[in-house]
Amino acid sequence: MPSSPTPRRRRGRGELEAQVLAALCAAPGPVGAAWVRDRIGGGLAYTTVITTLTRLLAKGAVGREKAGRSFAWSPAADGSWLAALRMRRVLDGESDREAVLASFVTALSPDDERLLRGLLHEAEDPRATQDTGDPEDTGDT
Amino acid sequence: MGFFVFLPLVLPLTAWPVARLAEQRLHPRTATLMLTTVAGVLALCSTLCLALVMVVGTAQLPGNPLPDGWSDPEVRDAVPFEEVAGRAAIPALLAVLAACALTLWRHVRVRRLAHRALRGVAAPRVAVLPDPDPYAYALPGARPRIVVSRALLERLAPGERRALFAHERAHLAARHHRFLLVVQLAARANPFLRPLRTAVGYAAERWADEDAARAIGDRRAMARAIGKAALVSRGAPAATLAGLAAAPGPVPRRVAALLGPPPPTPSGWPPAFTAVGLATWAAAAGTTVSALSSANAAITLFFLLHAATPW
Repeated sequence: MPSSPTPRRRRGRGELEAQVLAALCAAPGPVGAAWVRDRIGGGLAYTTVITTLTRLLAKGAVGREKAGRSFAWSPAADGSWLAALRMRRVLDGESDREAVLASFVTALSPDDERLLRGLLHEAEDPRATQDTGDPEDTGDT
Repeated sequence: MGFFVFLPLVLPLTAWPVARLAEQRLHPRTATLMLTTVAGVLALCSTLCLALVMVVGTAQLPGNPLPDGWSDPEVRDAVPFEEVAGRAAIPALLAVLAACALTLWRHVRVRRLAHRALRGVAAPRVAVLPDPDPYAYALPGARPRIVVSRALLERLAPGERRALFAHERAHLAARHHRFLLVVQLAARANPFLRPLRTAVGYAAERWADEDAARAIGDRRAMARAIGKAALVSRGAPAATLAGLAAAPGPVPRRVAALLGPPPPTPSGWPPAFTAVGLATWAAAAGTTVSALSSANAAITLFFLLHAATPW
């Protein structure tokens, strides 16, 4: 059952991304970064909001359009981005969750990993070579 | 009369070898059901015993609202060191109740938070989330859902994805979270029951693996899906205590089990004079004996108190 020693830096960042995205989702339409900052409150720096928005843009979680001399931001139509950030918060924040969320796999020790690679090598099925091929080839989600 | 009244507190120790036997020899479904029942019964007996010892040992303390008859000499004779034991039982019982309440509260909270997190996702059953970490969970509830990250799906071949979804659906269909909650509460009620929590956690995973393997009709694909998911999840949600032990962790054991022959059918007991049969019967007999003597001690104390009650 995994507990989550996620690096603190990442958690803080994910938290902020979730807040910014949630603010955008609550906005009446495309809004500027200043609107987002005011909505979140807590003395957040304008540049921090911009950085976070840019990071979300790179992921495809938000879109932006030119509005005068700055940008107006809006969330991606797909609600799964906000859900992903919120879910991450649940997964990182709750150490005692194994009865609710049974993880598909738990982490491996180095010995486990060696053992597992050996087992998978044995399991290599000649009929299913394309199934066990390069994992990068199968990205049609 | 003597130390037997404390038996329910220590008998959970006997569940350890039983858990090992059941885990290795029984069909995972049978093992899950049996070990969960045993854990629940032993935890109830142990908590009841704690409460009764507390009552006997402290009924005569000044200011205690309990009837004085409960600590008459004949009742007290039933409990060795009744004063010390009674006083020690108060914080122990409070700790048990608090820990169980906290566990329940967290359970409800995690469920609510997780469902709330997924509110914006339109797909009713499967939520595919754009997270860079590979993970997959079954989320029980009024609207049970499977939560899986895009990062994990992208690394699995189509057959393996089917296996993954079948596994999570098996968790939801058989309501495995209930078993896990029961053993979690039991482990809080008596720390000696912790090995049962681990054993049931593993057995429930194996149960879902076997159900899923049957649903997709391919044990090897199931094994590969687990193995690949575990390898790509490296560094993400991390190590448990099991990682420190010398024995292989749960993932290699699950994969090895799937690559081996299917487990004995869950319906019906195996004949008694085979290795599997002996182990099964030994496990069943062991658990029955410990549960019965546990219950016996608790019930004896209960009737003693009942007889000593003035009304």
